[in-house]
Amino acid sequence: MTPLLKLSSIKRSFGAIHALNGVNFEINIGEIMGLVGENGAGKSTLVKIISGFDDGYTGSFALNGAEVRFANPSRAERSGIAIAQQELSLIPSMSVAENIFISGDSVPTIATRRALALKAAPFLEEVGLDNVDALMAVNRLSVGEQQLVEVARLLAQEPQILILDEPTAALGESDSIRILGMVKRLAKRGKSIIYVSHRMDEIFQICDRITVLRDGESQAPQPAAKLNVASLVELMLGRELVNMFPAHGDVTRDKPLLAVRDLWPDGTLEPFNFAVYPGEILGLAGQLGSGSGDALAVIGGAKSCRGGEISYEGDVFLPASPTEAIARGIAYCSDDRKVDGLFLGRPILENMTSPALKSFSRYGILEHQKEREQAFANGKKFTVDVSRMDAEAGVLSGGNQQKVALGKWLAINPKVLLVNEPTRGVDVGARAEIYQKLRDLANEGTAVIFASTDIQEVAGLADRVVSFYRGMQVGEIAQEQITAASILQQITHPFDDVPQMAEMAK
Amino acid sequence: MDKIKNWVVENHDLAFAILLAICVYGYFALTNEYFATHRTGFAIMERFAVLGLVGLALTLCIIAGEIDLSIGSNAALAAVVVVRFTDSLGAFPALFIAVSISTLIGAIQGYFIAYLRVRAIVLTVGTLMLLRGVALFAAEEKTVMLTDFRVPDFISTKMLWYFSPASLLVIAMFVVVGLFMSYTRYGREIYAIGGARKEAVAAGIDLKRPMIIVFAISGLCAGLGGCIIGLRSGTAQALGLQYVLLAGTVAAFIGGVSILGGKGGVIGAAIGTLTVNFLNTGLVFNVTPAFMVQLYLGVLLMIVIMFQTGSRIFDDYQRRQQILFDVDARKAPLLARKAESLKRQ
Amino acid sequence: MSAPITQPTPNWLERMVRDYSAFVVALVAAFMVIFFIGMATAPNFLTLFNLKTIIRDAALVGIMAIGLTFVTLSGNFFLLSLKETAALSIVAFATSMSAGYGFEISFLFTMVIALISGMSQGVLIGLGGNPIVVTLGAAGLLFGLGSYWSDNLVISFRRPHGAEWLGTGSFLGLPNITVAFILIAIAAEMTLRYTTFGRQVYLIGANRAAGKATGHENFGMAIKTCAIASVCAAFVAIAFSAQVSSAHVNYFSSEFGSSGDMTIMVIATVMVGGNSIMGGYGSTLRSSFGAVFISTVDNMMVLHGFNSGPRVLAVGLMIVFSIMVFALVRRGSRSQE
Repeated sequence: MTPLLKLSSIKRSFGAIHALNGVNFEINIGEIMGLVGENGAGKSTLVKIISGFDDGYTGSFALNGAEVRFANPSRAERSGIAIAQQELSLIPSMSVAENIFISGDSVPTIATRRALALKAAPFLEEVGLDNVDALMAVNRLSVGEQQLVEVARLLAQEPQILILDEPTAALGESDSIRILGMVKRLAKRGKSIIYVSHRMDEIFQICDRITVLRDGESQAPQPAAKLNVASLVELMLGRELVNMFPAHGDVTRDKPLLAVRDLWPDGTLEPFNFAVYPGEILGLAGQLGSGSGDALAVIGGAKSCRGGEISYEGDVFLPASPTEAIARGIAYCSDDRKVDGLFLGRPILENMTSPALKSFSRYGILEHQKEREQAFANGKKFTVDVSRMDAEAGVLSGGNQQKVALGKWLAINPKVLLVNEPTRGVDVGARAEIYQKLRDLANEGTAVIFASTDIQEVAGLADRVVSFYRGMQVGEIAQEQITAASILQQITHPFDDVPQMAEMAK
Repeated sequence: MDKIKNWVVENHDLAFAILLAICVYGYFALTNEYFATHRTGFAIMERFAVLGLVGLALTLCIIAGEIDLSIGSNAALAAVVVVRFTDSLGAFPALFIAVSISTLIGAIQGYFIAYLRVRAIVLTVGTLMLLRGVALFAAEEKTVMLTDFRVPDFISTKMLWYFSPASLLVIAMFVVVGLFMSYTRYGREIYAIGGARKEAVAAGIDLKRPMIIVFAISGLCAGLGGCIIGLRSGTAQALGLQYVLLAGTVAAFIGGVSILGGKGGVIGAAIGTLTVNFLNTGLVFNVTPAFMVQLYLGVLLMIVIMFQTGSRIFDDYQRRQQILFDVDARKAPLLARKAESLKRQ
Repeated sequence: MSAPITQPTPNWLERMVRDYSAFVVALVAAFMVIFFIGMATAPNFLTLFNLKTIIRDAALVGIMAIGLTFVTLSGNFFLLSLKETAALSIVAFATSMSAGYGFEISFLFTMVIALISGMSQGVLIGLGGNPIVVTLGAAGLLFGLGSYWSDNLVISFRRPHGAEWLGTGSFLGLPNITVAFILIAIAAEMTLRYTTFGRQVYLIGANRAAGKATGHENFGMAIKTCAIASVCAAFVAIAFSAQVSSAHVNYFSSEFGSSGDMTIMVIATVMVGGNSIMGGYGSTLRSSFGAVFISTVDNMMVLHGFNSGPRVLAVGLMIVFSIMVFALVRRGSRSQE
């Protein structure tokens, strides 16, 4: 029988990076296909192609045996492919029913709220929200229920294929169970579901078959029953290691430079405790929603927390704003450089010196020459193309932007550098340079803490790893024991007691 | 009783607006013996005919997360056009032409705001000036006047003690727009792009349609308001009517819109405008000079802004509490699993 | 990816090329074209006297626009309360002058009032209030206060008085108000380019979140820039009052520009100068040129016998044109990413 959807030898490259390099993918009617792979393996690119957000690929894309190509998401939607992305697209203040009928062809032009609610009922029932009042505002629901409403909105457009991109990343246990239950129910009713997830337990519970992506290439899909956690991990990690990581330094761990005691960031389940020594690169490993990035943001003064303290240089404090952290020599680089890492419309030079304006000014007057020298020196250290120092930061490629976003912190001579996702959206060449620079800084005595969802990165760069899982601190791995497999185990299924969630779901 | 209580909790902005309206009305009714008469009621409704339209237009714009600064100029243009053409073409064709022009101007503005992806305040500052120029042009820089005063007499005819053809038309307009906003998908799209524009776009709403509709309605209201003023007084000035922006904004905010968009409604707009009209009329009754009205309006708007800023800070606090509460509610099973696995090791 | 050698500090020409985009060049080109058409068709246009008139007419709006540019560049849009701030200031100044306090005291008194009003608006904006709505409310409040204080009457003070030098005096053949405009334009541009504060204005305007992350908060910035804008408005009020030896709250609503609205003229000037309304891009020099540009166009239209209608229309067209070009240029540069 021909699969409902069949992609063969799909290739997609962004500049010099080959995001997808000959991917085959298929799904049958009523099947749940797991799509797994490490960060950067090409999952999101593939999902974007299937759902019509990206049509810059080559290769064959057949739906129901007929060759198709979607120029935009609404075309894909009309052909029956709907995607629930990680960020919700619900209007918080509107009712559940209004949200379900907000856009698309199925929306009645004139209807009362009650009529919409009646019309929404079957879809809510389908996702297991039949006990929810469709007239209630969406923002009164839990995050998990909102996720289900999002799926109900997609179902209202009568899709054949439903893509769920990490639907449980931000959810707790009971909400996850509801989502899994819904996925199974939908599949029984003949919908095909592409399920993207990092969580091993979920994958094995619900998926019929599993496709593994690795470095932009796909493995042949295998029935979930034939795999187990160990063999799946092996499939995911089998990538050949380009040695882009610098050698570890000598760290003397006698007195921590910065220690975090019972620090409890908002949204995480429990307080965290860890310390970093001068000259050490500490890796915080964890998936999306694990709390590793939140811990960094709190230390950098960019996020609120429920309590705890940071002891640093014989002082105990909690920064209320980034300004306070900067004054103490703590630099925090967030995971999204476009949001708060860069001044895209301003010259690179101004970006490079932005955190340390005071050190280039006397009586409030900027010393341009000194500023330039400093910016050029720091730029060169981070291999920023200094001949473009006066160009807008927005014209740089992703890798170079990241170098500027990181390199600007050299201006304050940080004693502690906190980096969330040091190489997100960065090409291989720039990655190696960024790793090398972080190591150089550590060798000069700076303590570096980075949080990452990329397992290879954590394994290759960190001198010590602290691992996080769903808002909990679950383990610590000393330098000698760091392997990709040990990290993967801790951040995907730290408690080897996978409870019978399948039963709970019923 | 419980029903009322629930309603108040659900619609506290509207409840506050009604309370404020009653307070203002009550104050003047008690301090001035002529205030609570139907003669005054008629005067208030006559004001409502114009200010209500402006308040309605601004309410819609603010619901969509934007603001239309050109509303005064648009109204002035319509007033000039209608007064100039009434003598030669008759009132209805002139009205039709003037209102069509204003609506079209609004729709074009909406289109460009969505197409250029600029904020409406930016574009409407430009059109504010542009439309003034056009109005000056149309009026040949004079105060235009009607020669035949039958039309002004007709639209201020008293009907049913409180109303005139003008105010009845405006009330009808409120009803139509209210139904449109509540019961059509287009109205819901307007709420959506105001309250959560990023999410709305992600959900597949094309910004152009709601933007064009909002600004077309805004233009329609401005045009109709301008026409009513022009025809009622029989004169029009190209540079007049700029005061309606402040009054309309105050009315919209009292009616419960939020500057962040997505909140408020037509009933709120009506109550907000009535409150402003009670104040206006009451102050005139108490022989307060006209400039003092502006002072009071300014104070009122500042209070509303401070209130909204405060309530936003409070909302942030509450949202954080909600997150913490959610965490506490769902952490137990996971922490238990962690503890168990620690025990095993 | 080898790092080239350090470049020397660019000279002024290189900096011009760096700081001023093709659009500004186009603006200057348009200015030149109009200049030449005007020269060719209106014989009185290119006289020294007319040139002085142009700059003089540009001065008052220009000074206010320079003040407002700080607000706009820092990403806080614009203030709708400029003419009302000026109205309150002119009443304050004239009241103090007519009471015989002398120029210095009256000047300080007016400035303090403007500072307080500007800073309180800044606080509300810095706390997250929408600049448009906050200043719309403030506008009503300030105008009402001014009217109440002056009882809506004209306040005049007798010549000779201590402010005459500012209103009607001249220096090296230029009216003092023109000299003040030039000095303020230079000082503002120097502030933006060479001070830490100026750099912060640009950084916060370009990306408020990144500004916060690098230790530059908008709260203080909103207060400072609103104070600057208000002080500039107050200065204009004082200069105007010194010129006519009197004050009335309506001076800035009726006597200014042909459109009858000083605030909108000032905003128009900032926009026509080609500053980004979303902040982070532009300069006070652009606003100064914008003022001269609008004034030149207006002057030429007057010489050609146009009435106020077409003149207001021209200003409106210029604003809309600059918004569109700017939006398209910005969008073009973003799509290159």
